[in-house]
Amino acid sequence: MTGPDHPFAALLAEYVAECLPLAEEVVEQSLALERAWRDGHQADELFRPLKGTLHTIKGNSAMMGLTGLQTLAHRLEDLWGVLAHEPASRGAGAALFVRGTGLLADLVRATASGPPPEGATTDYLEEVGAFLASDRGAREAAREERRSPDRRAADRRSPKASGEIGADGAVTTIRVDSRRLDALLESFGEAMIAHAGLGEAMRQISARRRPTAEMAQLERAMLGLDRTLKRLEGALLETRLLPIATVFSRFTRLVRDVAHDEGKRVRLEVAGGETRLDKTVIDRLGEPLVHLITNAVIHGIERPDERLAGGKPAEAVITLRAVQRSDRVILTVTDDGRGLDPEGILRKARAIGQAPAVETPSLAEIYALAFLPGLSTADRVSHLSGRGVGLDVVANSIRALSGNVSVGSEPGRGTTFSLRLPLTVAVLRSLLVEVSRERYALPLADVAETVRVRPDTLHQVARQGMMTWRGEVIPVMDGALALGGGAAESRRYCVVLRSAARHRGLLVDSLLGHHDVVVKALDPSLGRPPAVAAATILGDGRVACILDTGRLADGWIEPVAAAAS
Amino acid sequence: MNPGTFLVVDDSKLHHQMYQLIFSRSELAGSTVFHAYDGREGYEMFMAHPELTVVFLDLNMPVMNGLEFLHRRQAEHLHPQVPVVLVTTESTAEDEARGLEAGAWGYLCKPFAPEQLLALVGRASSRLSQRIARP
Amino acid sequence: MASDSILDFAAQLNHAPAAPVVEERELRLVVFRLDHEEYAVPIELVREVVRVSDVTRVPHAPPHIRGVMNLRGRILPIVEIRTRLGLSRGEPTPTSRVVVVEVAGRIVGLLVDAVGQVARVGERLVAAPPEEVRAAGAEAVTGVARVGTRLLVLLDLPRVLRHEALDPSSPTSP
Repeated sequence: MTGPDHPFAALLAEYVAECLPLAEEVVEQSLALERAWRDGHQADELFRPLKGTLHTIKGNSAMMGLTGLQTLAHRLEDLWGVLAHEPASRGAGAALFVRGTGLLADLVRATASGPPPEGATTDYLEEVGAFLASDRGAREAAREERRSPDRRAADRRSPKASGEIGADGAVTTIRVDSRRLDALLESFGEAMIAHAGLGEAMRQISARRRPTAEMAQLERAMLGLDRTLKRLEGALLETRLLPIATVFSRFTRLVRDVAHDEGKRVRLEVAGGETRLDKTVIDRLGEPLVHLITNAVIHGIERPDERLAGGKPAEAVITLRAVQRSDRVILTVTDDGRGLDPEGILRKARAIGQAPAVETPSLAEIYALAFLPGLSTADRVSHLSGRGVGLDVVANSIRALSGNVSVGSEPGRGTTFSLRLPLTVAVLRSLLVEVSRERYALPLADVAETVRVRPDTLHQVARQGMMTWRGEVIPVMDGALALGGGAAESRRYCVVLRSAARHRGLLVDSLLGHHDVVVKALDPSLGRPPAVAAATILGDGRVACILDTGRLADGWIEPVAAAAS
Repeated sequence: MNPGTFLVVDDSKLHHQMYQLIFSRSELAGSTVFHAYDGREGYEMFMAHPELTVVFLDLNMPVMNGLEFLHRRQAEHLHPQVPVVLVTTESTAEDEARGLEAGAWGYLCKPFAPEQLLALVGRASSRLSQRIARP
Repeated sequence: MASDSILDFAAQLNHAPAAPVVEERELRLVVFRLDHEEYAVPIELVREVVRVSDVTRVPHAPPHIRGVMNLRGRILPIVEIRTRLGLSRGEPTPTSRVVVVEVAGRIVGLLVDAVGQVARVGERLVAAPPEEVRAAGAEAVTGVARVGTRLLVLLDLPRVLRHEALDPSSPTSP
């Protein structure tokens, strides 16, 4: 196996960049072949090129000292040979082949973080060995074997993708290391900040002097620069946009595998794969989507006999759809299964002490409870439960992308998860506010409303500030308490923040309007301050913190101890 | 061994990086390496550099493969003094014979270790200096 | 023949003499003032010295971080080195400066009262710190140097900055 001393160890990333697309292609083709053969087509044009690709993967893996992968690819070539010469063996042989190509792709993908562990391929190679060693008659008669749940679950817990460079079908594409694009985007961010600084200086000059022809010229030049920068921003962000299909493609296989293990019949339909999202968002979307889809198959969808008894077709459908709405992308995961159980959710929420404040919560409020940590909608222990595939994990991942997730359902008819995601993570539409003479930026998407504080709407209930807002009673937090600052002056405005489960108000001194700000990560020396997600440089050159509205809304911020000021 | 001038013709970017690594970290450090990604590009570079120490030529490539490259060179009598090593993933006796017939000086089978490549270069260089030594 | 001269030339390059090693017996130090004491750090760790511009406070930041400052588009953490050395927190004065240092791959700014000229101090002039200096922030001092009538306190900068989130090897605070 390759170790750090292997002469080519430094080329691991290049190996993955070259072989992963090939391996994925092989997976897609083998799945398509399985379907085609099942429907009775020969599909030779799909079948023939597979061997060459496997051969290339084998050669590359051998050069890199990745003997496990080399052996696997070699066996798959052998298996290909049998499938080519014995069409009657394609029944069980195809399923075996599909599993093998999936394992190959997973292992290639995992190589990005180091050589595959010993024994990753042992079980599979044994099976293939047995299949190939058995005589022709046995192969033709074989039916696809059901493997033990533990081994299947172990196969499925293979390492997740670490981000793939999407390949466009068109010939006019160049492959660019995504880090170069990141660097380009960062330089552009600098340019935007410098431009904002210029604008600020211009404003100050024109405020103090009488207008002259030169100043008017300067202003026109600034406007031109402004337009150019906006176009450049658009073009740059475009280069980072990838079609969401790059993430969708994994799920056909996932649904097939999980459904098979669960003894259910499920079909995956995909729509809107050409919708595009920032590469960072796509990279981090894979895992939450895997959770949602796995959950849907395991908990949401009924067994075929149950479905038939309920008048539904035996085969269930899970639909993945992506749609773009202005600067957001809405991703939905819909199943036509049994739907959520509001009573069950309410019961479990009460059991963990998280009952909603009102007596009769609406359905929407109940469904929002499903995302609380500690809530599990499993009615039976499944072999995956050891991992705790909870919805709160999904909610956190989506929130980390400045998005949010919600769920709707019709009992007996199905469930729909909706993920709202920003198109980009580099520039943020924000609301600027001031608290104790310090300015902060809040992602506009998390702001439900801003209201002027009226004393008659504010109450103290057991030392927790509350406010009536649109017929609801929501908890509020004094900005200075959450963020530190001077003595409690009277806060004039309340910014109502929304998270998946609730609304919470943040009391601030002033509202400074909407601004597009360049998101800059905080230096690691600052640790991970809970209320702060990132930072930005405003037009006047001063730094402002971008607040983590998700955590603020969920109320997980400790008050700042009285600072030594 | 002294550094030399080499041409690598292969359609795999990964392999080019491997060659580059071998050349830069071994006794051959300081060598000049030219890179071509298909047979036709490789042939053009070959035409332009009669001083090449060794050419590493992959067999399976688009546009023009390794054998076609060798046949063309034979037909045009181009730079016969430059040793060309044919690099393949499989090698039977017939493949080797065919390659030698087409004018390949040596054979390198993938996967190969850096030492094998260096050994070939060593042999090629000493052959070259023998030729130079002869008046 | 062309190949001849290339091989010869390459052989020549391989035999070029290595650059001579220069012996360095003198420390070059950047000197800065906190209250009435003068402190010094090796010049190799200092990237630049800049004026203090607005420092934005970061809520819930680790102690000794005064905030962050815009340094040509970089968001620079500003370390309140006074408190780190046990002195009281101060307010910037017209002579205050930020000494931008790079330690263990991290770039931070030290807020100091004033910055003096670079001092050249022979290694042998550095002595172990006396008792009085050992008081506050003691473990951060590598030695003292007498330069004329001045006493420079040499700081162990990596140690000074090794505090919670400033230390690259410690787990980041949640």
